[in-house]
Amino acid sequence: MLSKRTFRAALASAAAVTTLFLAGCSQQDLGNAILMPLPASSSDVTNHTDTITDLWNISWAVLWGVGVLAWGLMFWAIVVYRRRKGDEHLPAQMRYNNPIEVLFTVVPLILVIGFFAFTARDMSAIEANNNAEVKIEVIGKQWSWDFNYTQANVYDSGIQSQYKAGKTDNFKDLPTLYLPVNKRVELTLNSRDVNHSFWVIDFLYKKDLLPGKANHIFLTPTKEGTYVGKCAELCGEFHSMMLFNVKVVSQSDYDKHLAELQAKGQVGLLSIDASRNQNLPGVSAPVENEG
Amino acid sequence: MATATITPSTPVIPKNKGRILVDWLTTTDHKKIGYLYLITSFAYFLIGGVMALMIRAQLTMPGLEIVATKEQYNQLFTMHGTIMLLMFATPLFAAFANILMPVQIGAPDVAFPRLNAIAYWFYFFGSLVAVAGFFTPQGAASFGWFAYVPLSTSTFSPGLGGDLWVFGLALSGFGTIMGGVNFITTILTLRAPGMTMFRMPVFTWNTLVTSILVIMCFPPLAAALFALGADRKFGSHIFDPANGGAMLWQHLFWFFGHPEVYILALPFFGIVSEIFPVFSRKPIFGYKTLIYATIAIAALSMTVWAHHMYVTGQVLLPFFAFTTMLIAVPTGVKVFNWIGTMWKGSVSFETPMLWSLGFLTTFIFGGLTGVILSSPTLDFSLSDSYFVVAHFHYVVFGTVVFAMFAGIFFWYPKMTGKMLNERLGKIQFWMLFFGFHGTFLVQHWLGVQGMPRRYATYLPEDNFTFLNEVSTAGSVLLALSFLPFLWNVYITARKGVKVTVNDPWGYGRSLEWATASPFPRHNFTSIPVIRSESPAFDLNHPEASDIVATKKSSKKD
Repeated sequence: MLSKRTFRAALASAAAVTTLFLAGCSQQDLGNAILMPLPASSSDVTNHTDTITDLWNISWAVLWGVGVLAWGLMFWAIVVYRRRKGDEHLPAQMRYNNPIEVLFTVVPLILVIGFFAFTARDMSAIEANNNAEVKIEVIGKQWSWDFNYTQANVYDSGIQSQYKAGKTDNFKDLPTLYLPVNKRVELTLNSRDVNHSFWVIDFLYKKDLLPGKANHIFLTPTKEGTYVGKCAELCGEFHSMMLFNVKVVSQSDYDKHLAELQAKGQVGLLSIDASRNQNLPGVSAPVENEG
Repeated sequence: MATATITPSTPVIPKNKGRILVDWLTTTDHKKIGYLYLITSFAYFLIGGVMALMIRAQLTMPGLEIVATKEQYNQLFTMHGTIMLLMFATPLFAAFANILMPVQIGAPDVAFPRLNAIAYWFYFFGSLVAVAGFFTPQGAASFGWFAYVPLSTSTFSPGLGGDLWVFGLALSGFGTIMGGVNFITTILTLRAPGMTMFRMPVFTWNTLVTSILVIMCFPPLAAALFALGADRKFGSHIFDPANGGAMLWQHLFWFFGHPEVYILALPFFGIVSEIFPVFSRKPIFGYKTLIYATIAIAALSMTVWAHHMYVTGQVLLPFFAFTTMLIAVPTGVKVFNWIGTMWKGSVSFETPMLWSLGFLTTFIFGGLTGVILSSPTLDFSLSDSYFVVAHFHYVVFGTVVFAMFAGIFFWYPKMTGKMLNERLGKIQFWMLFFGFHGTFLVQHWLGVQGMPRRYATYLPEDNFTFLNEVSTAGSVLLALSFLPFLWNVYITARKGVKVTVNDPWGYGRSLEWATASPFPRHNFTSIPVIRSESPAFDLNHPEASDIVATKKSSKKD
């Protein structure tokens, strides 16, 4: 192995370089430096996206360090200890070296505990009930989405993507969930048939819709815009067509949209009664046999 | 004891074709059963690979209809996953364990040779039943290889293909369980004199630990499959969503599914652990640490199943996040031990070593993305995206396929008595290496940008097209890399040079290098003295013991 002094010097300089590097970087630089940035369009979209991006960037910075160390040692061994032509000597038959083995057990353990601490802090913030101002129910169905604006007692019902090769402007036909900006939102997720998953890519978040069990998403959208959403859990033949949009709009535009739904006569709430799972909780009478 | 006194006892080889057939069909010889496993699983590997190419072709551009319907596309990825995990990688473990483990412990056969044979035939017929769905009118199972209910119930997937999938896998699973029982018993009871537990080769240790995982996690799978079969065929309500069936299935499935990943990985970690020392001319570095790391990985792997279920909102996130992250520690220990084995060695790059280094390069990256995914905070975004697809191909393909070829090139002289062609092997390696990374590296970015897995197509506006084109091009190169291998096998059978020595690599360490190539009928004509974990090396390189002795006395502390 390397002599102790060389090893310590190498370790110290590596630590110094890493610290300088991290200290000298803005989040943006760091995002680019890690080679695999989260979509820039997710920046500041909800109250959680920047937390997630920070953890992502710092985790990758550390992981690239570990990776470069491991690959570096491997290539060092390949190059420096390669057998030269005509070299028939038998190297020293070293079987173990306790200090180094303790080192590469304990250091990763410390890194893991740190990583867990940050993860646990952030995920409990993301999953915490936010005492929502706006409550909306999302119902998944093969192969689209229904949205119940519970407080306004209106609904919207979608159909699957109509995409065919050559067609453009495909996002326009998709069912669209409206959210008012800077309001605490709770989405209640239910499924009418099989498992689905509600994924808004720029929210950096998804959650499953399970038949027979409600799930909840708590967030505050903080930036107006239109965001792409996709079903992320295999739900049958047209899984890839189960797309949707999320429009984050001002409160007045939000109210306007709800009024439009009301004007269209979409008053009341859609239930999960029309389920093909006939004895789900809340499903009162057997629906007619759909064959 | 000198090698010269060992004369190979040639097995009686039947000449008549019918006799040869009957001999293979009725064999209880662990090596022949191992070869049957190897050939069958490789055939499934090729079938699953063709399916992967069809999947990649379909995804090259948005809106393609290379696969006629989306239902057929779903059948393709369902059966691709099922075949690769349960008909290729798992039986490949049984192949290598059968061929090598008894020889490595100095045994003439496994403890239960007839159980061994029936285990193979359960796998053979069970797998045929599961893939036979393609020959039914509605086609094969299409609910994904983890068959989430209620999608996999008869309400949503009524076809016969789903029934065949459920019962075929249950049958095949019994074969795997029997294999596990057999390997454990063999290792515990049939070791040669002097072969203590801590002198067993790392591959044998990993076979033992893997077999323990098998008997812990395959029975729950069998039970879950029969329960699903009862729901589908007999109208029972075990996985009725009204009783929380959707989550019950996920728990049962992943309680099997996660340890299964380590059932795939550990034996192949064992294979490279045999190869690094031979081509570094050094003993494995940190032998006991490596074994404890294997045991730690196996133990932790039983406690992490719900990390596949972070986004269900129904699991205790901190517990599963912490246990998952902890796995990184023993896995890192293994990586550094392999590098430590090469350190200050005399490293040469014959094909087995090249494949092992390819494994290590790939696996390190799969480990890094695995740490990212272990964090629920980050997984909320990445779960069920192409990032996950890329991650598990780095881990599973990186381990199973690279280490499989490492093992095949390494032990080919032991299995057939001939060496595979090194040049063709190196051409194959570089084609496969760049083909693999071309296919899967870009999929990480696709996932981060929002491409969900199991999508039959995507929109032009998604901007996924370019990276998908790169990925498909990579998969073509990956597929072409099999041509030099198949040619290599053919040309070696026709014109390969016969191996006349016990150890053609020169620095083999475990017992298989102390017996003839190919193996004699009962593996040994006599067993060498076993005084360390490297009996063959001790036998062939007595000069090394002096180096060890001086090293030890000078290092007295």
